Parts: sequence; C-alpha cells; structure tokens
Amino acid sequence: MTATQLENSNTSTLRTAGKVSTIAGIVFFAAGFEIIPVSILRSPWDLLVPLILSGVGMTLLLATIERRSRVPYYLLIPGGIWLFAFFVVPMFRLINVSLQEGIFPNFEFAWAWDNYTKLFTDFLAQGRNSLLYALTATVVAILIAYPLAYFIAFRGGAYKNLLLVMLLMPFLMPFLLRTLSWKIILADNGIVVEVLKGLGLLADDGRLLATGVAVVAGIVYNFLPFMTLPIYVSLEKIDHSLLEAAADLYSSSVTAFRKVTFPLSLPGVVAGTLLTFIPAVGDYVNASLLGTPQQFMVGNVIQSRFLVVLDYPVAAALSFTLMLVIVLMLLPYIRATGTEELVA
Amino acid sequence: MTTGATSITDPTMTDVPAVQLKGVSKRFGDYTAVENVHLDIGENKFFALLGPSGCGKTTTLRMIAGFEEATEGVVMLHGEDMTGRKPYRRPVNTVFQSYALFPHLTVFENVAFGLRRTKIPDADIRSRVEQMLDLVQLGGRGAQMPRNLSGGQQQRVALARALINHPRVLLLDEPLGALDLKLRKEMQIELKRIQQEVGITFVHVTHDQEEAMTMADTIAVMHQGRIERMGSPTEIYEDPRTEFVAGFLGASNLMRVDVTDAAAGKVTLANGHELTVEPGSLTPGHSQVHLGVRPEKINLVGQGEPVSGNAIAGRVLDASFIGVSTHYLVETEAIDNLAVVVQNLDDRRFASGDSVLAVWQPQHAFVVE
Repeated sequence: MTATQLENSNTSTLRTAGKVSTIAGIVFFAAGFEIIPVSILRSPWDLLVPLILSGVGMTLLLATIERRSRVPYYLLIPGGIWLFAFFVVPMFRLINVSLQEGIFPNFEFAWAWDNYTKLFTDFLAQGRNSLLYALTATVVAILIAYPLAYFIAFRGGAYKNLLLVMLLMPFLMPFLLRTLSWKIILADNGIVVEVLKGLGLLADDGRLLATGVAVVAGIVYNFLPFMTLPIYVSLEKIDHSLLEAAADLYSSSVTAFRKVTFPLSLPGVVAGTLLTFIPAVGDYVNASLLGTPQQFMVGNVIQSRFLVVLDYPVAAALSFTLMLVIVLMLLPYIRATGTEELVA
Repeated sequence: MTTGATSITDPTMTDVPAVQLKGVSKRFGDYTAVENVHLDIGENKFFALLGPSGCGKTTTLRMIAGFEEATEGVVMLHGEDMTGRKPYRRPVNTVFQSYALFPHLTVFENVAFGLRRTKIPDADIRSRVEQMLDLVQLGGRGAQMPRNLSGGQQQRVALARALINHPRVLLLDEPLGALDLKLRKEMQIELKRIQQEVGITFVHVTHDQEEAMTMADTIAVMHQGRIERMGSPTEIYEDPRTEFVAGFLGASNLMRVDVTDAAAGKVTLANGHELTVEPGSLTPGHSQVHLGVRPEKINLVGQGEPVSGNAIAGRVLDASFIGVSTHYLVETEAIDNLAVVVQNLDDRRFASGDSVLAVWQPQHAFVVE
C-alpha cells in the first residue's frame, strides 16, 4: 500500500468509527429515557455515558475533515448545544412521557401504546378542526396578504416603510387583547353580523361568534404579518427589468404576472405558508376565545390534558403526533415547491 | 450638409426609415433627459447611440421600446406612429443591460418566452429555439439555468431571446457593459456577424466610443439630451464639428485661432503665427474658431528641418514608448500639452527637452466652431 492509500484507509476507518460511536451515543441516550427497550442505564447520571460516546464520535468525524474546512462545523456548536438542550432532550422526554401510564403524580413508563391509539377515537373531531381551520386560515391569509404585499412592494414608493409599520402596528398590542377585540367585532349584535343579515348573507338567527368562521377569522388576523412579510420580501427583490423584459416579449401585465412575478414570489408564499400553517395547527387561543368546545382544536385538548386534567401521557402523545403530522404534511409541499428557492 | 445639433438625417438611409424620431423630448419633472431629438434610422442598419452616462441615450432607447412615453414628439416604427402603444405591441425587442434573464426558467424557456406568447405550435418553437441557440453558439445548453452560465453566455441568451421573435428593430442597451475586455471584443465582432446574418436594424446604446466605431454603420453622439453629431464613424472622427464630440471620440488637440481669410483658409494663432486649413472648412461669420488636430496626424521633426504644411515649434515634455508608437507631450506656443502619436517606423525618437517642430497637413485638421 502506498502512503496515500494508507492515509485513505485510515480516514475511512476513522469515519466509520466516528459514525458508529455517534449513533451508539444517540441510541443509548434514547435508552436512558427508556424509549427503546434497552434499559441498561438507570440513573440520570448514566446519560453522561451516551453524551461522551457521541462526543467522541463527533470528534472522530471532525478529525477526518481537513483542518481548514472545520471552522463552519465549530460555528455549529453554540446552536447545536441550544437545540440539543431545548429541543432534542425535551423531545426524548416527551416521547418517554407519552408512553407512561398511571394517575397524577404517579406516572410509570410502561410502553403504553394505548395513549396513541386512544387519540384516533377520542380526539378525532379536534384533529379535524385543527387541520380544517389551519388550512382555511392559511388560504385566506394568502388571498389577503398577496395583494397587500404586492401593493406595498410595487406601488408603495416612498411610503413603503410607513406601510410596513402600519401593517405591524396592531401587533404592538398584546395577543390576547387583539383576539378579544374580535369578540366585539363579531358579536351577535355587532356591526358585521348586522350588515351581513341586512345583505341577506346570514340567516336571521345566524351568528358568527362561537362558529368556525370566528376561529378562522381570528387565526387569519393574528398570523397575517407572518404571511405578508415573506411574500413582500420575495416580491420586493424582483428585478424590475424582468417585468420590462416580459413586456418586451409580448406579455400583457396579466401574463407577466402569471409567468414571471408569481413564480418568482413562490418562495415567499411557501415561507409564509409554513410560518402561518404550523403555529395555526397548534393554536388554541383563538378557538377558546372565539369558539365553543365544538370548535376546539388539538391545541385546546393538549392544553386541558396538560394543565387541567393533568393527564400528561395523553397530552404528550397528542403533542408528538401533532408534530409528526405537520412534518409529514409539509414535507411533500416543501419538496414540490423547492427548498432550494426557499433558502436562496 | 445640414448642421445644427438637433436636426440631422442619416445620409445612408433608404426608403421608409425603420425608426424615426420626430422632435422627441422627455422630461422627468424639471429635468429634461432628451430634448427635441430628430432621428431617422434606415432599414438593416447598425446604428449606435453614443454618449457619456446621463446624456439621454438610454431614455431615447426606452422611448423606442415603449417603456417611456415621449413628453413631446413622435416615435415612428416603419412609418407607424407608436404613441400610446404598449411595449408588448411594438415590433421591437430589447437586449437589456443586465440581461434580465428570467431566473426561474431554463435557457430554452427564456429563449422561447416570446414565441410562447403566440400561437406557434410547440414543435416549431422547439426547432426555432434550437436553431437560435446554435446561432449564438449555445447549442445543447438549453436545459441549463441562466445562473449557471458565464456572463458572456448569459449575454448571448439575452440576444437569442430577443432575436428569435424576428423583431424589425432590435434595441441593445449597453449589452456588453458587464463583460471583460477580451470577451467584449469578441462579442463586438459576434454581434456584427449576427446583425449581417439576420438582417435586422440594430439600435445600440453605448458609452464606449471604440465599441460604437467597431460595430456601427452610423453613430449619433448624444450630449445633454441632444444629438450633437451624426454620421459614419469616419465622418465623425475626421470632422467632429463640436468641441464635445472632438473630445469624446478619440483624443484631439484644440487650438484657439483667429480667422484672417475664410475663403483661403488662413487662420492665425494668438501669437500671430499663421496656419492653413482646408478652404471649405471655415464657414463665414466666425472670427474666432478652434482648430483641431488628432495626435496621430501630427509628425515631429527636428528644429530647422525643411517642412511642408503647418508647423509649430515646441519642446518635448514627455516621451513614452509603447511599442507600435511613441506618445509625446509637446509644449508649444499654441497649446501647452500638444499630444502627438508617432508610429515607430524608424528608430528616430525624441527625448524630453528636445526642441522640435510639430507638423501636419492642412487637410488633416478640422474646425470646431
């Protein structure tokens, strides 16, 4: 073997050892939370063992990378520690709790899959509400935010910043107050209901408050900036000469919008959708203030299970399932619209 | 020949002009970008609008394209009044300064963009795009995204995207500005080749005098919103007529002279030294004019040597040898820094401090009023 071959084989051995050690660390870490059936670790201190294992593994992996290209990896350390402490550990803990059983405060880890199967019988209505309201609200938010962002980006002129501040102004008020004021707007004897009744769009005994419409309205209102700002940013950075080029190539302004402006603003629409849909699915404030238990969403159930009923395992199972569902729903969406453009 | 800065006709024009501007002005608020421009551009001509930045050349081009409406005057394309006609309804296409390629479309779709707006069947579009990509030497690159191409390649995509629509007039807004020198030279020749091949009127906006001279049949030099001089590259170079054009197109030595005998072409320098110009070049009515001589038209000889033509005495301030020629700065009685470029035909060179005679033939000087 030549020196380089020796070098290469050393590197690949190191890399394999690093990977094995890192994965072993993660597996043992999961074992520490008893969420895989290998219970060799008994005290919280034993969690140090998997930490050291994966630490050694990552150091080995780092050693296979050329010295100069290591810097970006070092830069990952602070964020990595933060994510580990406040996302990875709690998530393991969440999975662990979701598989416990018992009565508060005496919960025991017991591989209680029941907690999960229960969800599909007991909370189907709330799950359906969550998806329905969040989807509707996201679509409505796009329909309102897009023209708004378009106007500010292309017609705002010298008033661009003022208009953006005006967009954000209501959000200087606390979340709860903002949502509560919608109670007044949509009240049974309020102006909106009166006008709709006058126009014959609402039955004489119809109401808006305490219906899905009110919940969706609240969600749309509260998340509108999260939809508007990303769309605004993607529209704002469109080079004006592209629109001139489209006009030069026989496109009317409608065609130019369809073929140039809209495709180029898609990354903003995707980002806005994520920023609106994800929090909206888990939201419970709008449903509890503007709706009735009939409009309750998964968030309401999680809140009451955790804080009222004190049924931690089911609450944890609900939380984890919600997270999985969101990830599974958004993966194809992001893939279809292109993550490359999302980060570009 | 007509004179005056604002009303000049392209002498090489035939029949109905491809592009005609009649008294076109453009004002943005108080600022006048283009003032009373008259322009006739003939069919199949390579026409250059040349001038420094802010002279109104791009605004003029944008008015032809329809991106700006003229405040006054009329833009005609092939005899048709274009007033109020939207860009997408004009028989012109533009190559933009920044190329303006659609970043979300492939090279193929960028080029096909204009055709897709028509009722042309897909198969025809495909073959025409491929043909056009071959013409600009980008065959086989259709599937790539514009951002993965080099500047020169992007420039050619922009050209193909405009040309494929067979516009009757192609507008080019500083299309080579973003390219490096070597590529720019190549593209100049390339553009000229393509123009001759497709036989379309090209209106080219540039601030690069060499570029304009290399490519254009006719050049219009713009300055402060007006056309100062229009004609073929040689005409403009040999007889720039205004001080601005003389300075903008190549280097010139300008000397202030008094006209003593307009008919005979006699003028005198401030110190009384008499010089001769071509008799026809002095228009009556001017007692004081500028006499201009291009540096390469002047020869240097030693003091006291026999000369024919105009000669002024001076002393060499600086001599720099640059291979094909030697550049001199000569301090003379007429002008402090007389620039002289002498071809290195023999090894006779002057050093700084040498007393010399700067000599030129009367027909090589021009008059600026």
